[in-house]
Amino acid sequence: MSEFLLTQVINYGNPLIGLILFLGALGLPIGASVVVIAAGAFGQQGILNWPTAALIGLAGALLGDTLSFGMGYYAKDAVQNRFGKSPAWRSARVSFQQRAGAAIFLTRWLVTALAIPTNLIAGGSGYKFSRFMIYDIAGETLWIGLYGGLGYLFGSQWELVYDFTTNFGGLILGLVIFGFGLRQALNWQKQNRTRRNQKAEA
Amino acid sequence: MPPKSKTQQRILVIVLVLIGLLITIFFGMRALHALRRFNGHHPPPPGKVETDVELIRDWMTVPFISRMYRVPDEVIFDALGIPPKNNRDKSLVDLNREYYPDTDGFVIEQVKSAILAHQPAPQPASAPTAISAPSVPAP
Repeated sequence: MSEFLLTQVINYGNPLIGLILFLGALGLPIGASVVVIAAGAFGQQGILNWPTAALIGLAGALLGDTLSFGMGYYAKDAVQNRFGKSPAWRSARVSFQQRAGAAIFLTRWLVTALAIPTNLIAGGSGYKFSRFMIYDIAGETLWIGLYGGLGYLFGSQWELVYDFTTNFGGLILGLVIFGFGLRQALNWQKQNRTRRNQKAEA
Repeated sequence: MPPKSKTQQRILVIVLVLIGLLITIFFGMRALHALRRFNGHHPPPPGKVETDVELIRDWMTVPFISRMYRVPDEVIFDALGIPPKNNRDKSLVDLNREYYPDTDGFVIEQVKSAILAHQPAPQPASAPTAISAPSVPAP
């Protein structure tokens, strides 16, 4: 899939980059990161005009994020009806609202695998759209600037950059899952200890 | 909280921790390996013409390779025995499939040979190394 897209990026240039990043932001697994890094390299090789590619790519990614935020927003009522009474959902909602900025920003460029769920939760939890956009623009700009910049810097050796960033992203995702699980385990331990102390006091 | 649900949640957390740990180890090793490869390379100086033909990939098109290695695309099409018309947008793998379906990897090897043959010798004082292009099977 990625190889087919790279050939088409060579042939059709910047409009296709915008489309790929738009579809990637909607959750289609089409390898948007590889296209960003490759586009940087193609810019260095004179195949693409890199400032235009960066702007069109950014516009595509922001449009896709807006749409996936909208999907979450319009599914809000259905989710509320289904889980609204659940304390776990309410607590998750509050917890997301507290860390939403960091979550939106970091999932744009560091833990990209969690970008779509974050958009849907942000839209579905009633997070303010203007605030979502601020973190979204910051994160997507960093993603395109960093990944595309490394592609530009390494030119024809951009595959090394892709290899490293993909595995590093996987490593961060693993650490996030591990950290989340560990935090839950520690919370339970704490709750159990408190309960035992309360029983002993009674 | 009912005991069953509590047990289920405990199992879920244990599974999460284990999956997280496995993903961390798997990608951590791969990232370390990629970093080692990454460290061995330096960004090419700006304006440097690419000479390493091992960077040619199946998804590249002839005009793209021509620009990357500063070799006229006619030279590459001639070496392939393929007309440029209607073939400029096709990747090497597509050209191979269309013109040399019986010889896997022929087009990419032929392109590499054509680029090498077109590159100036690295040291003008040394004896030129002749690079013989592989014979072209009939398309």
